[in-house]
Amino acid sequence: MTQATQETVPPAKKRGGGQRPAAATVPPEFQAEKIMKLDSPELVQILKDPAATVFQKDKACMRLAMVGTKDAVPALAAMLSDPQFSHYARFGLAPIPDPSVDDALRGVLKTLKGKLLVGVIDSIGQRKDAKSVEPLAKMMYDADAEVAQAATAALGLISGPQATEALQDGLAKTKGSMRTAVAAAGLVCAEGLMAQGDRKGALALYDVLSRAGIPKTVRLAAMHSTIAAETALGRPR
Amino acid sequence: MTKSRGLVSRRQFARTVAQAGALAVAPMIVPSSVLGQRAGAVPPSDRIVFGGIGIGNRGMSSVACILSYKDARMVAVADVRNERRELVKSTVDKRYQNSDCKMYSSHEELLDRDDIDGVLIATGDRWHTPMSILAAKAGKHIYCEKPCSMTIQESQALAEAVRRYGIVYQAGCQRRNGKNFVFAMELARGGKLGKLQTLHCNAGTGTQWPPITTHDWLPAEPEPAKEVVDWDRWLGPSPWRPYNPLYVQGRWRGYFDFHGGGILEWGSHTADLCQYVNDADNTQPVEYEPKGENTTPYFIYCRYANGVKLVHRDSGWLGLGTCSVRFEGDNGWVETGDTGKIEVSENLKSELPPPEQGDAFNLTLHYHWRDFVECIKTRSQARSHATAAANTHIGCHAAYIAYLLGRKLTWDPAKQEFVNDAEANRMRSRELRPPWRLV
Repeated sequence: MTQATQETVPPAKKRGGGQRPAAATVPPEFQAEKIMKLDSPELVQILKDPAATVFQKDKACMRLAMVGTKDAVPALAAMLSDPQFSHYARFGLAPIPDPSVDDALRGVLKTLKGKLLVGVIDSIGQRKDAKSVEPLAKMMYDADAEVAQAATAALGLISGPQATEALQDGLAKTKGSMRTAVAAAGLVCAEGLMAQGDRKGALALYDVLSRAGIPKTVRLAAMHSTIAAETALGRPR
Repeated sequence: MTKSRGLVSRRQFARTVAQAGALAVAPMIVPSSVLGQRAGAVPPSDRIVFGGIGIGNRGMSSVACILSYKDARMVAVADVRNERRELVKSTVDKRYQNSDCKMYSSHEELLDRDDIDGVLIATGDRWHTPMSILAAKAGKHIYCEKPCSMTIQESQALAEAVRRYGIVYQAGCQRRNGKNFVFAMELARGGKLGKLQTLHCNAGTGTQWPPITTHDWLPAEPEPAKEVVDWDRWLGPSPWRPYNPLYVQGRWRGYFDFHGGGILEWGSHTADLCQYVNDADNTQPVEYEPKGENTTPYFIYCRYANGVKLVHRDSGWLGLGTCSVRFEGDNGWVETGDTGKIEVSENLKSELPPPEQGDAFNLTLHYHWRDFVECIKTRSQARSHATAAANTHIGCHAAYIAYLLGRKLTWDPAKQEFVNDAEANRMRSRELRPPWRLV
């Protein structure tokens, strides 16, 4: 490529992400370009419009993921309990950097069930909402295995002393695949502790996860992590 | 960098037990091939056992590699499409002259099998990271086709999971093991080009894969029976949309929910080589400046912290084949592509190797697979290990985001965030559809 080539191309411009592949036949009602250029207030109007289609609401949520403001949170949160729209709503909500999102997600923990609840728990974990540790610790023992595993995974991501305690309790109180999930979340939790500077807490958790009876893949991983942590310091504990 | 672990492998353990057991129960009549006594035979305990997940056309090339090895065995396939399950089974059974290859409609059944050492993940891109993480948690070694991730966050989660569980991971970035590409990379790394100036990577041709993907939907059509195509599982972690057979038939590329556009499609190969050349497997470029059209030509001008420039571009190449790369230093340049042909500056002509015999691309695929199998046996790090792949993909996703936003972005590799650009930072991740997640 030459410098001349660089200079002949047009300057950068903002794109909405609505272009479609050549030769694809897309009906007008499934073309996203216009929606992907709207701003937050207009997108919220789509969410509130009873006549809006599933496609329009999906795209509004996707666009809100990029540009949504705090004002969009109530409309998105209202969709969390709708099986058709719950994931779209999380798609739009999770990237909004406002604590009202955490409040909204936490607020539906008691009302949702099944996959809708699983999704919300996943979003809580990704946002590392420490205020959710207490309800999540209870959900580790939910009768719905998917909910229990989601809560466990979220606790690992949130990490910290409270989540560590909940996961250690879980190791003692669960069995089978659920115990494997708790142990795996323990690894993630220990990494979180290490990243937060709690080396002592991380090594203690790795020690628990290295014991006999812990599922093999997790046990080996914990042993390796202990060695890696010790080696990194260049001296034995 | 991800380091391989000195764990005792199941194979090593099996060998030890077999040796002890042979003394305890001898004499015992077993076929000589089982003991590896026949010339060229490999005992079952030394064979790496594979299962395949989501095998399309690309995946079948990898299956062919597995089937060509005496020290590997393909035993199962999991796919949400019945016709693909049956195609893989018939191919495998024909090769082994039996009917042993098991078919599963869900990956969980395959990952639950203790006898499977490694998996080939050749699903669509949307599944690559979540499936790799599930496989890592199951203790399986992984060969995963590229692009390996849909977002920056997925790239990070992938590298973390592979490091956490200490498995061998090979991204399907085969060109890291292609002889012409290796020659070009070593020419640059060995200092023959002088001080590196600019690295060029072939982005997917904009007329075929526009740099920016679309949010459109194809028209809804009746869903087939779940046993024929499990549409819910085909979508997997992606947002729900109505069924259309074109997606399932391979026309999923170009859609935001499923694909990273031309930048990821080929950048995952070609930017990957540039990362290696710049000794940047552990980092990413710090600046991304987009220029160009919605289709072609398009460019993203990047810069590493050490001053070396990286240019993603879909045009202006010497015609040496798809997935071309060009490395420029202050003492010369080299360019190569999928034809296997290599061009260099006049002063470096004497360095050129003799042309390789055979189909360059097929040889590259075989070298890459062989590297993976050997790394499983020796518990070493494969050429396209997860950390390298993750950092390449993070850089490509950053380039995509810069192109989409149409502005120059600055990236902080230490913090893994764009500097002073909240909108760009919000595009680092996407929420997955439950119950799929990244841990």
